[in-house]
Amino acid sequence: MKRVQLQRWSSTVLSPRARTVSRLHQHLYGAGSRCQSTASPLQVDSNAQSNLGDASFEDVELMKHVRSAHKRKGNLKYPSPPVDAAINSAKLAALHARLYLPSRLPPQTLARALVDASADPNADFNNESLATLGHDLLTYYTTEHLLCTYPRLPLTVIFAAMYAYAGPKTLAAMAREWGVEHASLPGGEVDPGLLQFRRVEPGTDIDATPNARTPRPYAAQKAWRMTVTSKIFYDDEFGDAFKGPATSGEGVTAELASATFVRAVMGAIYLHAGRPAAKRFFEQHFLSRHLNISELFNFSQPARDLARLCARENFEPPVARIISETGRKSRHPVFVVGIFSGQDKLGEGAGASLIEARERAALSALKGWYLYSPLNVRVPSSMEEEGAASWKPVYVDLGEVIV
Amino acid sequence: MPVKGIKTVTAARNGVGAFILQCKRLDFHYCNYGGSSRGMLAFLTQTLPNFARENPQIEIRVSPRHSKHPIIKGHYINGREKSICVRNLEPSDILSKAMILKDASGEKLKQQKKPVASLNESVRGIWSPYHGDLRGV
Repeated sequence: MKRVQLQRWSSTVLSPRARTVSRLHQHLYGAGSRCQSTASPLQVDSNAQSNLGDASFEDVELMKHVRSAHKRKGNLKYPSPPVDAAINSAKLAALHARLYLPSRLPPQTLARALVDASADPNADFNNESLATLGHDLLTYYTTEHLLCTYPRLPLTVIFAAMYAYAGPKTLAAMAREWGVEHASLPGGEVDPGLLQFRRVEPGTDIDATPNARTPRPYAAQKAWRMTVTSKIFYDDEFGDAFKGPATSGEGVTAELASATFVRAVMGAIYLHAGRPAAKRFFEQHFLSRHLNISELFNFSQPARDLARLCARENFEPPVARIISETGRKSRHPVFVVGIFSGQDKLGEGAGASLIEARERAALSALKGWYLYSPLNVRVPSSMEEEGAASWKPVYVDLGEVIV
Repeated sequence: MPVKGIKTVTAARNGVGAFILQCKRLDFHYCNYGGSSRGMLAFLTQTLPNFARENPQIEIRVSPRHSKHPIIKGHYINGREKSICVRNLEPSDILSKAMILKDASGEKLKQQKKPVASLNESVRGIWSPYHGDLRGV
């Protein structure tokens, strides 16, 4: 692949902006502490720069342009924009205001949240640490919300709901809905308001990455039985195997980079504005999204599950009875079947055949059980608020039925 | 495994929790010489700083467009853009045009036929002929 010339990019495509070199900047970059970049940096000719400093042209305006151009060229050395460029970025300020981020969160941190580890491997300048914190907060808040609101959900459905609320796909969609744009290529001269990450080379098989980090013993034995309970211990919060870490120099997908950015914003809010602001941000941006949990179930044999459930709960065994029917001998018959346990109707469903109607009725009965939600539910993190009422234990269920 | 989970993605409901303004960028183009840009030049010097201060969510770009009528171009989160030509307009009229672009969602304008659009299913449910008070014919 032909290598893109950064120098040409910086002058034509990317918006030019003058940068003042602060003391912090000099300290960070000048002392040679940043020599970790995997990208081959464009070497600035030191002789040319010293000559420029000596030259004293009469035209002040021209010299200003020449100097700013050289400063831009100097930024090409860095894999991500310098810290003080964040102040001058209109894109970044607009993003800050669009998300109603607290004013205590400085634009510099938001700029850092936009730099992925694939763009800048230096942990002091990329969003990896912020994203780790944000990820933990996100999964904690989502888990406690799900477990307290729907205490009877089966574990596989909890995994699916976690994925729907805080999975990478959702986070990437959120970044898109926040109006975050991607930089074509990361670099020191890029506007700090753009999401910067190194893209995956075309033709790379994304799913082929080896699961080097999975703590599961005998992970190579694909044919072995993998229980749902073991997913709690060995797999991530969505019930999927841990992906190996992206090695430096390797690209990431836009979806993954966007998800990391959203997590990093969460972590940055927690660090700068505190726990209440982070909680509020979670409620406003994550919990407010629409998810119909009853659509996450995929039963294979609902009638059998319902029978086991009734046996476990000491209900009378479920019996299916026809409530009403029409056109039994016609092309479009409809049967309405109810599932009864003694005198109580557990569920009801309509279908074109008796078996289909019975399955649907069992399904609605199971969903009615699993989707139980207590009233006025509180989550454990609400105890962190000031003046919180004393804690009352939430409802904890036996768990799903084991067949 | 008795029950499996189906992986989906939550749907955004802009304004239910946080509200994200859909206009992310406004470009103001003017010409230094053309007479049709006179109102635009006055707008850029007098009204625009205040407008920008009131709407920090919008990135604002001002750039000359030589020998062309002045226009305002809005860029939206859904990727679309809308532009309005503001030739020979007064600064107050240009401000109202900028407000139109600011408040737009970026979608194509279309007639809203239903009074309510919702992701939630109907509370009342769908009428069923097999339930309730069955009457003999």
